[in-house]
Amino acid sequence: MSATPLLELRGIDKSFGPVQVLRDVALSAHAGEVTALVGDNGAGKSTLVKCISGIYTTDAGEFLFEGRPVTINSPRDAAGLGIEVVYQDLALCDNLDIVQNMFLGREKRSGLVLDEPTMEQMAAETLAGLSVRTVKSLRQHVSSLSGGQRQTVAIAKAVLWNSRLVILDEPTAALGVAQTAQVLELVRRLADNGLAVVLISHNMNDVFAVSDRIAALYLGQMVAQVKTTDITHAQVVELITAGRSGNLGLTPDPAPADGTGAQPAEAQNPGADR
Amino acid sequence: MRAGPSQDEIRRQNLGALLRYVHVHGATTRAELTSRLGLNRSTIGALTADLANAGLVSEGTPKETGRAGRPSLVVRPESARVYAYAYSIEVDRLRAARIGLGGELLDRRDLDRPPGLLVDEVVPLLAAAVTEMQQAVPAGSIRVGTGAAVCGMARRDDGLVRLSPHTGWSDESLAERLGGAELGAGGPVVTGSVADLSALAEHVRGVAAGCDNVIYLYGDAGIGAGIIAGGRRITGHGGHGGEVGHMVVNPGGRPCSCGSRGCWETEVGELALLRAAGRAGLSGQAAVLAVVDPAARGDASAQAAVRQVGDWLGFGVANLVNIFNPELVVFGGTMRDLYLAAAAQVRSRLNSNALAACREHVRLRTPALGDDGALLGAAELAFERLLADPLDVA
Repeated sequence: MSATPLLELRGIDKSFGPVQVLRDVALSAHAGEVTALVGDNGAGKSTLVKCISGIYTTDAGEFLFEGRPVTINSPRDAAGLGIEVVYQDLALCDNLDIVQNMFLGREKRSGLVLDEPTMEQMAAETLAGLSVRTVKSLRQHVSSLSGGQRQTVAIAKAVLWNSRLVILDEPTAALGVAQTAQVLELVRRLADNGLAVVLISHNMNDVFAVSDRIAALYLGQMVAQVKTTDITHAQVVELITAGRSGNLGLTPDPAPADGTGAQPAEAQNPGADR
Repeated sequence: MRAGPSQDEIRRQNLGALLRYVHVHGATTRAELTSRLGLNRSTIGALTADLANAGLVSEGTPKETGRAGRPSLVVRPESARVYAYAYSIEVDRLRAARIGLGGELLDRRDLDRPPGLLVDEVVPLLAAAVTEMQQAVPAGSIRVGTGAAVCGMARRDDGLVRLSPHTGWSDESLAERLGGAELGAGGPVVTGSVADLSALAEHVRGVAAGCDNVIYLYGDAGIGAGIIAGGRRITGHGGHGGEVGHMVVNPGGRPCSCGSRGCWETEVGELALLRAAGRAGLSGQAAVLAVVDPAARGDASAQAAVRQVGDWLGFGVANLVNIFNPELVVFGGTMRDLYLAAAAQVRSRLNSNALAACREHVRLRTPALGDDGALLGAAELAFERLLADPLDVA
């Protein structure tokens, strides 16, 4: 949509000791779009997200935010740019209510005491802005919520801080069909409201249902980033499992620098994926 | 040669435009109305006064603007006082609602509809629901009309339900029956198909707001489409258009309830899904979930069924995208659950079968108004007469 991506990564490298996890990774996320980040287990998806959110520092590469170079050395830097992450395990506190969870660690104060009315109002406005109608009371404990409602609270928490980019790590992994549908519609609404969204998912239906672009990681390399209108399910599965598909992805005869990985896996057959 | 529009016509036009704006967008400041409607400030003031006198809008001061200067008055639709009744007659349920100007659901009754219920049996059920709702209506309210959404083909002029294989109705004059009871007090009953009216509602205040080329696919026992092209509803010569479920996609396929063979709905309807999964005996959303849920849990035969039906869904959508070049395709009713479960197949088929120029900007979405679309759309039809000539109706 917009010509300049909200966030653009170029040439990101990351190693843990001798193990190189990310190699020359590029990724762009546009405002108003859902970018799906796909890849097999161990392809580097979570590491990449942790680099974006400032939990890991990168060894090389540059970050551009709205076209300006920025440095992200800590989660605080990321939050300052408006980047929020919703992790798989949600990081919600069961013994706190919805409002307390949404403001945990960033509570509003009025003088010495907490400004509960303002926080409650902001929480209610955020949930209403996302058309969330499934939550009955903002003062119920998170322990009483269903999996889908928890995911909704976690996403609303990420949106509360005037965020610009929200990264969702497997938001539907533990949910039933009806709740998955609600969360997918919520993810789509975030982007339709103008945010940039990065969605990590293994479920190809989720990816195709909500994404505008698909970015495929294969053994630490970004092998393709394509529009969802230009690719088929089978091609995405090939990119994930073999790193290339037709003229997409790795060139057929790469010269691997370290002799591992990046071998074109001709024999691999993209099996029946979901 | 025709003379220019008279003063009265211009005023009627402007009143309608102002009322429509607050009906669609909600409370709006006079300043914003001035710029949005391109009318002079004093004209807006006079029009607002006329509408307020008729009890259609109210004016108030805004809460806080945070800006310097005298705040502009806010014009609000009188949602609690100006209302229409909307009915939705679906395969497995009946719904009636009282809907305020501005699309606010004021009251509603949802009833199960046992299969095979005839018109004569449906009308008293709806009448009872309306009588009950009518008791809660505040004094001084204005009832502007009645709209009905029906799962079947309803003739535009008189609401004659021509063919509704899934309800067992044929040639039933629905609008007349509804108008005869107290159901239709306050003007003629206007009718449309569920798919068509759901599309209208999403176009006015849902996921398709601001989109002028939209296809809304509604699934129940069959599949119908509400088509909006160039900002207008396409319903055809008699109002029967949009029956995409009966486009033939597989000439060697199964017989369809319409008498033809290989219609799209024989490949993507709930029966097709159940058959592909080797199940039977369910209908409606329960049928779709009975296959989609095990598929999500990893059941191989259910997954194969979802993939197969998703493939056929994608073929049909690709055809429609090539013909209408929409910017948005909405999957409603049981199609919502099917689309979300089979999006990879649907999108892949669309990407490989539709023309690049037609498909590259198409967005696939689920409804923002959920199942309430048909009711809200029926109310939109009923409000149409008010919006065309506000002071005549009120």
